[in-house]
Amino acid sequence: MPEQPLDPDRLAAQLEEALCSRRPLPPLSEAGLVDVAEAYAVQQRWHSLRVRSGERTAGRKIGLTSTAMQAQLGVSEPDYGVLWASRHVPQAGGRAEVAFEVFLPPRVEGEVAFLLGRPLRGPHVSVQDVLAATEAVTCGIEIIDSRIADWRIKITDTIADNASFGGFVLGPWSARARHEDLRLVGMVLSHNGQPATEGVGAAALGHPARAVAWLANKLAEFGEGLEEGDVVFSGSLGRAVPVQAGDLVTLEMAGFPPLSLRFT
Amino acid sequence: MTLTEREQELLRRIQAARSAGTPVPSAGVEFDLEAAYRVQASGETGRVLRGYKLGLLSEAKQRQMGITEPIYGRLYADMLLPSAASLRRFLQPRVEPELAVVLRRDVPPGSPPGRVAAAFAGFFLALDVLDSVWQDYRFTATEVVADNASGGAFALGGALLPEAELPGQLRLFVNGALRSEGPTGALGDLGVRLAWLADRVGGLRAGQVVLLGSPAAAVPAEAGVVEVWAGAHTLALRLEA
Repeated sequence: MPEQPLDPDRLAAQLEEALCSRRPLPPLSEAGLVDVAEAYAVQQRWHSLRVRSGERTAGRKIGLTSTAMQAQLGVSEPDYGVLWASRHVPQAGGRAEVAFEVFLPPRVEGEVAFLLGRPLRGPHVSVQDVLAATEAVTCGIEIIDSRIADWRIKITDTIADNASFGGFVLGPWSARARHEDLRLVGMVLSHNGQPATEGVGAAALGHPARAVAWLANKLAEFGEGLEEGDVVFSGSLGRAVPVQAGDLVTLEMAGFPPLSLRFT
Repeated sequence: MTLTEREQELLRRIQAARSAGTPVPSAGVEFDLEAAYRVQASGETGRVLRGYKLGLLSEAKQRQMGITEPIYGRLYADMLLPSAASLRRFLQPRVEPELAVVLRRDVPPGSPPGRVAAAFAGFFLALDVLDSVWQDYRFTATEVVADNASGGAFALGGALLPEAELPGQLRLFVNGALRSEGPTGALGDLGVRLAWLADRVGGLRAGQVVLLGSPAAAVPAEAGVVEVWAGAHTLALRLEA
């Protein structure tokens, strides 16, 4: 076993190269990245590298919010990544399109997204703080993607890889929806016209706002917080659905107009 | 903030009862409420302030206590309960069904009630767990104020209700039996209430939560499930022996 110390900058550069060239990497965990804090350091370096070349932050995403996903990766808490503005897929009239070739084999998830009207700083952020600081809520399709070959990921792989972030589509923001009981909001995500996965708000840590509160408190450990204007994807309500070129996915969530995404 | 000798004595008595986990009889202490609030505020050291709670809303109760306005206590982060809690952390807990308001903007002292109401982000169903150190809840106004207005803990619902959809009635169930209920109209004009509070505490901050007081009688807590029902909403808390 090589006992060479891991260089977070080198791993960040490799992830960037994999993203741009669409040539996936072998698992970083197999190369010795086994510490969660180190994995977040890699993510942070990668983000800084991208910001230096013009990337902007649109907000954050929370992953591994379901107990099933946590069990699969052998962890007991969610993870998080950054929403890159360059990967915001615009929609018109509820319909969006994105080039399939942008991604390594992607998957899609249906989520509740929050728009923050005020900053949230941990460590004592509660569900109620999140709701009070929320400007508006909507449904969103998150594209997840892995720069690690064949999704052979351990927890440190996905954290370093920006929580497997790929891209996102947002429905229309609703200030009224702040007042819904978001635990009870149901969704159906269809794949080429067939229902592929169903979910409900409570699937994300019991309450989508609890996932956002977790994130604000987690960020406080790194001296960071959520900012006014941040968009936060609060975690998948169902399973992640693999897609191919030409596929159509449609997210229907109670209280919101439908949202579709076609991979061209 | 320095306390006078008699204020310190009252504080020590409250803290000793709290750490021993045993209620103490009222000593009939009466001095002006400002001093009592100074004693209350000194309990803030090392804790994270999350908001306030209102108490003694009814004028009948106020007269009984010899005061002419409601009282308030402080809500700290460590008082917010998850969906289950142990009764062992309390001395003589009682529960009340309430509503809480959360602010989206700062409310400086001197704000007119209309502007205060415009700062409301919305409301949560709430359960107030009272826990006086004074035996059988027999106390003077000074003693209850100094003891953080009997504040023990609280739980909040997960839905942010708009003011237009506030329920008319709050009901409290303990282990399935209806034990207490009251009309939310008894909470008074909420803009006026919060404007008064903002004046008294030197302003309220965005994100702070205020428990608005109970329109229903307090009920002794017991092991099991406590539920608050109001309109189309409910909040449940499991209390463990």
